[in-house]
Parts: sequence; C-alpha cells; structure tokens
Amino acid sequence: MVEDRYLVWRFKRGSKDALRAIYQKYADELLTLAGNLLDDKAGAEDVVQDVFVSFVQSIEKFRLTGSLKGYLATCVANRCRDYRRRNRRGQAACENQAQRATPETRNPLQLVICGEELQKLSNALSELPYEQRETIVLRLHGDLRFRQIAKMQNVSTKTAQSRYRYGLDKLRSTMNGEVRK
Amino acid sequence: MRPAENIEKLIKKLHYKAGAETHEKVLGNVLQALDKHEKQKSNPPLCFAKRSNGFEIWRTTMNSKITKLATAAAVIVAVLVGFHYLGGSAGSAYADVVERLQKARTLLYTVTTSTAVEGMPGMRMEIAFKEPGYMRMTMPGGYVSVMDCLQGKGLSIIPQKKQFIEMEISNLPDNGGRRQFDTIEKLRSLPERADEVLGEKEIDGRTVQGFRVAEEGMTNTVWIDPKTSELVEVEVEFNNAPGTSATMTDFRFDADLPDALFSLEPPDGYTRLEIQVDGREASEGDLIEFLRLWSSWTKDGTFPPTLNPAELPKAAMEMVKAGKFGPDQTTEQQQFEHTMKVTRAMMFVMKLPAESNWRYAGENVKFGDAQTPIFWYQPSGSATSRVIYGDLTVKDVTPENLPE
Repeated sequence: MVEDRYLVWRFKRGSKDALRAIYQKYADELLTLAGNLLDDKAGAEDVVQDVFVSFVQSIEKFRLTGSLKGYLATCVANRCRDYRRRNRRGQAACENQAQRATPETRNPLQLVICGEELQKLSNALSELPYEQRETIVLRLHGDLRFRQIAKMQNVSTKTAQSRYRYGLDKLRSTMNGEVRK
Repeated sequence: MRPAENIEKLIKKLHYKAGAETHEKVLGNVLQALDKHEKQKSNPPLCFAKRSNGFEIWRTTMNSKITKLATAAAVIVAVLVGFHYLGGSAGSAYADVVERLQKARTLLYTVTTSTAVEGMPGMRMEIAFKEPGYMRMTMPGGYVSVMDCLQGKGLSIIPQKKQFIEMEISNLPDNGGRRQFDTIEKLRSLPERADEVLGEKEIDGRTVQGFRVAEEGMTNTVWIDPKTSELVEVEVEFNNAPGTSATMTDFRFDADLPDALFSLEPPDGYTRLEIQVDGREASEGDLIEFLRLWSSWTKDGTFPPTLNPAELPKAAMEMVKAGKFGPDQTTEQQQFEHTMKVTRAMMFVMKLPAESNWRYAGENVKFGDAQTPIFWYQPSGSATSRVIYGDLTVKDVTPENLPE
C-alpha cells in the first residue's frame, strides 16, 4: 500500500520507472482478471493495455484513495464490460466457442497451470451469467469486497453476495457433473 | 459434492500469464502513450485549442483575486527554489562532478509545488535553462514563459485567451542564466553541511542517500546517487509557510534544447499585453506595496489577517464570503501586475530567517493608522529592527522599544 502510494507519487512527477514498476507489479494479475472475464484472450490483453493507457492519460487528476490494485481491477472490469458490449454483435457465440476450443498455446495469454480440471473450470466459468462470473472473478482475483462489487454493478451488497453464492453453486454442480461423466 | 471453499481455491488457481514478448509490446505501447501525453502537455503552440483541467486552474487563478494569492504561493516556491541558492562552493568530494556541471550548457528539471491550500492542487512546472542565459518554464495547460536574461526580455503565452505578455525585466542580477547551474551545485554540496543523514532509499530503482539541511528559513531534503553523485530529488520546505513545498526531480544536463524553444517571437494571431517585471530580490518595499494593495481591496481599508502564504488564500476566501472586499474591476494586465506584487511580498516574508524575529500584527488595522505597528523584523547584521506602521511608514527601532 505504502509502496503503491510512493509509486503513484513518483509517476505523478513524471517517473517512467515508476510506471514500469506499477505495470510489472500488476500486469499479470490484471491479465488474469481480464482473461477470466473475457473468452477472447487477445481482447484481455487489449483491455489491460487500455487500462494502463487510460491511467497514464489521467494521472494528473488521479488520486489514490484506496488500493491501487482495487482501482486497476475496477478499471479492468469496466473495460471488459465495454469490450463485451462492443463485440456482442460482431462476434457470434460460435466464434467464442471456437476460441475456447482453440489450443491455448496459440493464444499469447495462457493459463499458468493448464490441467484438465482447471480447463474445465475455466469453461464452466465462461458459461455462467456474466454478472455471476464478474462477481466471482472480482472477489477472488481482484480482491474486491462485496460492497465494492455491488457499487460497481449498481446493486445491493446482498445481491452481489447472492450472485457470488449462486455462481459458485453452479460451478460446483457443473464440475461434479463433469467429474461424473 | 465439492465444498464451496474448494471451488474457490480452484478458481484462484485460474491464473493467466502473458509471454515476455506480449508484456514488452503492451508496456511499450503504454510508454508510447505516456510520451504522447507528455508532448501534448508541454507543446503549447500545437495544442492551443485543447482545454485542459490544468489550464482551467491557471485561468481561474489569473481571474480571481483570491486564487491569485494561492498561485502566488505556488509560483514563489518554484522561483525561490531557483533563485535562492546563490554562490557557495562545492566540496572537494564532488569536485569532479561539479566541474562537469559547470561545463553543462543546458539544464532541465521538474518542480512540483504543494501549497496546502484547499482547492489549489500542486502545480507541476518544467524548467529548462540554456547557456548563455535562456530560461523556459512550462506550466499545466500549455502556459509557457520564456526569458532571455541577457537581453532582460521575456515572453509569456496564455493560449486560452490567445494573448501573449512581453516582459521587460529590470534589475536582473548579472549572470542570471548561470545562476541556475549554481543552484544545482549548491544543492549537491548540501551533504557536507547536513544536519541529518537520512540513510538510503530507492528511487526509480536507484539506491540513493538522503541528507537534510535546515538553513535560511528552508528545510532542504536532498537525495543523491552515491555512485554517480547525481542529484535525484530535492524537496524544499518553507518554515514560514507550513505545508508549502517544492520538489525538484528529473534533473538532466546537456540535453539538446533547440533555440526555438527559447524564442521570444509570439505565435501568430496572438494579441499583446505589456508588463514591467522587477527582477530584483524581493524586499521590504515589496511587502509595503502588497499591504497597500490589500488595503485598497478591502471595503474598510484594513490589512490582511495573516502573512502566512499557506493561510492567506483561505483567510481571503472567508473574507469574500463575509463581503469584506470591494468589487474587482481590474483589467487583465492589472491582475497580472497584482499577482507579481503578491508574489514578491510573499517571497520576502518566506525568506526571512527565524532569527529576524519577524511579527505581523496588521489584522483589523486600517491603512493610515500611523500609531500602530503592523510588521517588524530585524535585518541580518542590524542592531535595530525595521517597524512598518499602519500608514506604511517605516522606522528603525531599538530592541527595548519594539512592540510587545
């Protein structure tokens, strides 16, 4: 936290090294976030790049009031939504399916541990209603509180908690079903 | 059935990672965006039409009596940082670096000011010097000032109003351009007379050593790279204005700075405002002029409630709310001149050392009150103190006759 404040302070004063350090510290976590929110892994890279570019362009006005990771995670989530909205018409669901079926090695963005179970879980996650998927990913990978997620989704904290719980239930039953198969 | 927490643990393992090439590409694009952003900020003639938040602050500042005071506080810290350190010799430990420094033909650095004034964010200024005596100061929103210290001329551009100010600078000290290099030299020699050694820390991946020196009403914190003896960061705090500071970073020597950057030719289509600027060290006379000016602003002719640059804007804001100021009918040119007067007065006060025992007692005193002392201080090396009265006359007073 203190380190982040210092990095932001330095970056606000024009230090490129501070920007590099922020990128190196959080890029993989943000890619994980975007990778889990979007089926299009190349899109995940674009989203993370856009978030950092936007961060650069607004640095003069930027004030760090909470955690930097939380701020960047929220930006990624917002960008992912925009990205999905933009691509909804252009990309048919079958294309998405094809994307998932494509071997991960062809994507520049890859699951770090690519076991069968995790691949199934990744597929199951992308089958969830987006709000549930977003809640789970932001909670577990963005370290956001339900209160913060609820605010972002413009719902009550209870609704965010319910989305999380229902999402996990569905994943659990899907995974158990897959295992039984 | 798999317990929920196991699913959570499994989801946490869903980590994606990009290859080194991807990171290189993305980071490269981000840095490119940063360069573009920096260029847009500091390239006024090409982006006059663009209205930035920073310029809004400056524009508002120039048009408001109150924020004028806050700006004065912001600008003076930058100016003070530049002109305060005069002369002095560097220690032998840094002799070789100082020699190189002396040979440098250009100098660039960034000053970020902090005024602790609510609603007045810090101002970031980029300062460039080039031999034999050129100076360029870039402020948010493309506000640029260029000075030719040899000719005693300057040019300021106000992009938003498509106006430029031509300055004739009188009383500028000799060798004005060279002084900035002396500034850095003096700063680098601070470790030799440091009151406090702060130890090491990292700045941008460099291990730096910190030193703190309190002198002449300022506390300087200097961070130096011990391997190269390069200055990395300097923070200057002003004892007479708590919360007011300036941080100098990004020092660069001998960068290629084209002459065009220091051109005194105004852009086409701009109208002119002519201003006289006094380049002398701020003095008691500047304070008197400011006190006279302030008393002309107030409806009842009273002097300011404080002379603390950090508190003055806030106090003025409260006076505005209470309707204590008359209507502001000044022209753009007068506003600029008033800002200069305020700035010089604040510079004088901020530079007074603690040993001067300066006091201000002008609150609620009206201009013309010849019996009431409103400000007094003991000049360095003088046995008597200078006392300014409510009619703005000044007398030398012995210690036993000083106001209580």
